[in-house]
Amino acid sequence: MSETHTQALWWASESFWRKMAIWVTAGSFVVLIFLTFDTVKQITAGTKRVPAYANALNHRIDYVFDEQRNFQVPVIGVEEPLFGKILTEEEAEALVSHGKLTTQAKNCMACHTLLGNGSYYAPDLTKSWLDQTWGSSAAREQAMVDFLMHPELAAHNSLGRRMPNLGITEDEARATVAFLKWMSSIDTNGFPANFKPIDQTDAAPVAAPAAVPAPAVEPASAQP
Amino acid sequence: MLEPVKLADFFTVFFSAASVIMFGATYALLFAWSRIGNRPRLMPLAYAAYVGLFASVIVLALAANLFNNTFWSVIVLLMLAGYLLAPHAIWHLCVGTHADKHDSAPIKVFQQR
Amino acid sequence: MAAIGLPKTAEMNGGQKLAMKYFTVAIALFGAQVLFGMLAGLQYLNPDFLFGILDFSVNRTLHVNAMVVWLLFGFIGSVYWLLEDEAGVPIVGLGLANLIFWVFTLAVVVVVLVYLLVQVGPGEQSSIWLINEGREYIEAPRWADIGIVVCVLAFFYNVAATFMKGKFTNIGGVLVMDLVALAGIYLAGMYYTPNISMDQHWWWWVIHLWVEATWEVLVGCLMAYGLIKTMGVRRKIVETWLYIEVALMFGSGILGLGHHYFWIGTPEYWFTIGGFFSALEPIPLVAMVVHAVFDAGHHKLKSTNNPALAWIIAQAFGNFFGAGVWGFMHTLPQINLYTHGTQWTASHGHLAFFGAYATMVIAFLYIALQKWRGNVYMSGELIGAWKWKWAIFLLHAGMITMVMAMLISGYEQSQIERAIGGSDWMAYFAGQSHRWFMQGMFWRQIGGWVFTAGFVLLAWDLMTIGKRETRPALTVAAETAAA
Ligand code: HEM
Ligand code: HEM
Ligand SMILES: [Fe+2]
Repeated sequence: MSETHTQALWWASESFWRKMAIWVTAGSFVVLIFLTFDTVKQITAGTKRVPAYANALNHRIDYVFDEQRNFQVPVIGVEEPLFGKILTEEEAEALVSHGKLTTQAKNCMACHTLLGNGSYYAPDLTKSWLDQTWGSSAAREQAMVDFLMHPELAAHNSLGRRMPNLGITEDEARATVAFLKWMSSIDTNGFPANFKPIDQTDAAPVAAPAAVPAPAVEPASAQP
Repeated sequence: MLEPVKLADFFTVFFSAASVIMFGATYALLFAWSRIGNRPRLMPLAYAAYVGLFASVIVLALAANLFNNTFWSVIVLLMLAGYLLAPHAIWHLCVGTHADKHDSAPIKVFQQR
Repeated sequence: MAAIGLPKTAEMNGGQKLAMKYFTVAIALFGAQVLFGMLAGLQYLNPDFLFGILDFSVNRTLHVNAMVVWLLFGFIGSVYWLLEDEAGVPIVGLGLANLIFWVFTLAVVVVVLVYLLVQVGPGEQSSIWLINEGREYIEAPRWADIGIVVCVLAFFYNVAATFMKGKFTNIGGVLVMDLVALAGIYLAGMYYTPNISMDQHWWWWVIHLWVEATWEVLVGCLMAYGLIKTMGVRRKIVETWLYIEVALMFGSGILGLGHHYFWIGTPEYWFTIGGFFSALEPIPLVAMVVHAVFDAGHHKLKSTNNPALAWIIAQAFGNFFGAGVWGFMHTLPQINLYTHGTQWTASHGHLAFFGAYATMVIAFLYIALQKWRGNVYMSGELIGAWKWKWAIFLLHAGMITMVMAMLISGYEQSQIERAIGGSDWMAYFAGQSHRWFMQGMFWRQIGGWVFTAGFVLLAWDLMTIGKRETRPALTVAAETAAA
């Protein structure tokens, strides 16, 4: 190749930009690797940002405004075991994992968003555990299980959009609820903002919501 | 620390952010055009586009609360400087990369004076 | 030189024959993408449509997977197309390459059939191994992931070995390194964890580092080759610009990954990294547009292949608007808090994928077809030119309509659902049933019909372009002469 016929301007020459390309890429990549080590450490379950599975499942999760950080953060509160049963970390992880696998096998993300990623045909599930749609905090667990098993029966909205029946078994539904509860405890830097969590102050097992055919959500939620 | 955009400013943010990039490209194109065709009359237009860019960056910075924090203020300054200089750099690269031939005659024509 | 206008498979090299097969599958999958996109879009308007038969989730999964696979097939085909020409020697391992094509295609067919017929499985590992991994864009089950990696390795072997045996041009060098990165990154998407934060963290490595880094550079290589072929731009210039592009793209895009690490559990320092580097990301795109215009001006838009050139120009602008403008509009965390995961995102995703990648593959199809028809005339007064012109117009008109419609829906959604309503279920449906939102979804569908018409015309044109021509292609004057 007739590389140096004339003195090309060094800053416009191929060899200069080849070196730039290599160094810039390598440099960015090295920085990314360092950051990744730190980030992975910080998002491993059992840390401040991403709580241990049992810690989340065995306690009440709330989502409250933090003056200092200037956004809402999840707060792990009093003991409030999921389905009334205290779990060890192994049991909790197995349960959450079963739930996560269920969300993958049923492809929840092809309609919903999780942590804001996925599809936009159905509501975000990041804080679904804390959603007021479930009625009272006491009825919530069962309402969620019932809904997941028979979503097609529930008309949630005036649009007529429904979730299809995905053949979720009771075990899978309970595991999914565990996954959702745990996910709601992740510190997402304030996303979603301005979220108003379900009232959980009343810990007493409230008067039975009698028969909850489908979830305790009524078309009322439809009005814009 | 981050201060999210206020509801009333959403439109301003989208619009000014789009304007930043669009003015940036307009500026770069007019700049290049003016030089390619040896049309110095286009140069003021190019800089007018930069003024538009400048204004858009400021509007964006105000609407997105970027001045409330040192780090984001620095980004604003970098954008103002970077987008001022980038079209010059891009232009010089265009010319420079097309120039390294024995007879770099055509390029001479493109560069005014 | 006889019989211009008739298929000239015999005169093509082995890689080019193989490329035609990849291109054929690519176009078929593009059609599937359009079909399932339309079905998904219709379900926004009429939720009972196909409910319980082909649910939204099924249609959407097929829509985005067809997109990823047709673009990949288009890229792979394009690389096989230019391989012998670039390297100057016959392709190494052509038999293997042909075998791999059939394996890959068969695997895609099986995956699609499973999506359609099986759809979901029990919440166990077996489901993500055999049916569906349930993670957007990379839903393909694990067995298929492994198959893809094997196919890509074989492809990589063809490319690297051919360049090694022949001459390693700069385009070849960048291409080989980029393919290593592209394939390596895919591995980040291939493991299971119960931890959704970790899951999404690595998932973005695949998605972002593909579309905003390695795919951009791959397309840069194709573009470089295309410019040499269609406009006769001097190789030295094109290759210098390729390196410039690599430096700027990787320099801004790799750490630009930060704009996806705002809200998924990852630490707060990503706000600043993501904000800073996404502010840089439009710069290479601006540079590309300016350089394209500079080159076009330099060559007075004379080309041997007008449809290809038109799509190349569409690429420069599409990339600029879809990624640069649409990307920057929602990338600062101060606003992304509200646009994250809304129709806003979908608007950007459509314009960017179409503008940056679909356009490039289509340009390459025209380059290939010109040769396939016996190096047929494709400049100014091409017979039947109305078809390609209307196709490019309808595809863009449809896409722009869709994108603007989604933008309006997303704008409303970011306010009603995200900012005011706080993103709970009630807020979600309040946003979805707002007038602006519903009208946006309606107009998206109208745009979809226009796009579909454009696609049909494009497919027809691809099958027939140059058929009735008897003139040979113009030859590009080497740049020395032009100047
Ligand atoms: C050709 C290049 C690009 C393509 C194909 C592309 C495509 C996409 C797609 C498909 C998504 C949605 C992912 C999902 O499903 O969740 C996305 C998200 C995003 N993109 Fe891009 N993009 C490109 C370039 C850019 C650039 C240059 C920027 C910034 C300047 C950008 C900023 C973003 C942001 C901030 C998001 C996240 C949106 C959210 O929070 O929901 N993109 N991109
Ligand atoms: C007839 C034309 C099309 C129609 C009707 C259509 C419709 C749709 C629909 C309904 C969705 C689901 C959005 C949601 O979750 O709410 C979607 C997603 C998507 N489509 Fe299309 N589409 C079309 C063409 C295309 C083309 C040509 C491309 C790119 C080359 C494309 C790329 C995408 C992407 C990347 C997503 C995921 C976006 C995200 O998650 O943010 N689509 N499309
Ligand atoms: Fe990105």
